[in-house]
Amino acid sequence: MTHTLHRNGNFESLSNDYIIFAITAQTVNAKGSARKFKEFEDIVLKYNPINYGDMKTGNMFNIDISKIQEGYRDNSIVHAVFCDEDTVAKVLNELKEADLGISIVVSGILDRVSECCHEKGIKPHTIEHSLGIHGRVDYLPNDNVLEISTMCGHGMVSFSLIEYLSEQILKDRITVEEAAKKLAKQCHCGVFNPARAESILRAMTK
Amino acid sequence: MVEDDCIIKSQYYIKILGGLPMYINKGLCIKCCACIPYCPMQAIEYNSEKKQVEINANECVECEICKNANVCPKDALIMEELKWPRILRSQFSNPLVTHPDTGVPGRGTEEMKTNDVTGRFKKGMVGMAIEMGRPGTGTRFSDVEKVAMAVAEAGVHFEPYNPVTILMTDKETGKLKDDILNEKVLSAIIEFDMPINKTKPVLEKLKSVIPLIDTVFSLDLAYRLTEGDSNLAVKIANEAGFTVSINGKTNVGLGRPLAKEE
Repeated sequence: MTHTLHRNGNFESLSNDYIIFAITAQTVNAKGSARKFKEFEDIVLKYNPINYGDMKTGNMFNIDISKIQEGYRDNSIVHAVFCDEDTVAKVLNELKEADLGISIVVSGILDRVSECCHEKGIKPHTIEHSLGIHGRVDYLPNDNVLEISTMCGHGMVSFSLIEYLSEQILKDRITVEEAAKKLAKQCHCGVFNPARAESILRAMTK
Repeated sequence: MVEDDCIIKSQYYIKILGGLPMYINKGLCIKCCACIPYCPMQAIEYNSEKKQVEINANECVECEICKNANVCPKDALIMEELKWPRILRSQFSNPLVTHPDTGVPGRGTEEMKTNDVTGRFKKGMVGMAIEMGRPGTGTRFSDVEKVAMAVAEAGVHFEPYNPVTILMTDKETGKLKDDILNEKVLSAIIEFDMPINKTKPVLEKLKSVIPLIDTVFSLDLAYRLTEGDSNLAVKIANEAGFTVSINGKTNVGLGRPLAKEE
């Protein structure tokens, strides 16, 4: 599924973009795991994620967060997005102490995530690298649009919507903040980073 | 109420395409065009001759993004039951649909995300995923087949519970079912694992098929971290001419029970 992988951007832009998510293995430890996602939520929400969502119900921009909290199931995948590695390290430390027994995955700059783990005495188990985009890359839009769109790995944030909203910003029909929220609504899982989107939209429309 | 021309079209679609694709009820549509930018395939167009907003059924991947965006003031976007093979478009494009063969929402598998408890990727092995059509371009299964058959020549082991593998008529060659080849989806993931020393020949096969496809793909590789040579797969990828991104995914190993190491 790799829905949080392949986020385009340079070091500076990606250094404000981390996702921590929880998942259980359907053939091993999923049964009865819905309550574990509630415990995961209790930890991550203390750190004010910029986005939060469950693949089964929606994200904090398109559904009331209470609905997400009521909707955890054994095959949920619950995500929280953060903008700095200090917070990532703190969240990981609490998750380690809580010993929930569910798989925890962090997406972000690999060296930084490795440092967070090392700092908290966590030994990473498995790693996944993006080897980029290939083929008809001439079909792709400019880098700014691509950076925003790839923040939703399921492709729910279309290139054309980003281009349309940037035009609306230039015409003063919508603010950068409003546009970023509209884009975040589209990414059902809640892995889209609206703060990073704001920054990119500002660069596109200055 | 659906207009007559829609009914005639629906009979055609049910017979020829396997179900009625997402369509716009012309009796309800007020031509505000609010839905148009939401379509990732740019399959919604305003037809200036007919003065109607239309969905190009050949390009539509049945993701329901237009409908789920809730921007249509008249609920004029209509989705009805899809049949084989068109239903694949929905299963591979709409992440809200739990795939019947994986039990997981979305179009892939748990892959490395639960590797700490499943042990799917063992030491010395590499998992690779080729996500056809990503980002934002979409793919026909004919292109998925070309790539799957190319990497199969290098002797990979396709992930048996992956939705693309399930569509193969021959898991040794990567051949897909003939009746699905023209179906278009938002993306489809070819997943397999292999001993680490096969990484380079597989990447070489992959490079050879790139000029033959009419879409993009996003490529990744995953492996169990080991002491000492944890960057070996990255070195091999670099040697094969692939650039490794600075960002990626880390399973931090907090799942329980931990998979037993062989």
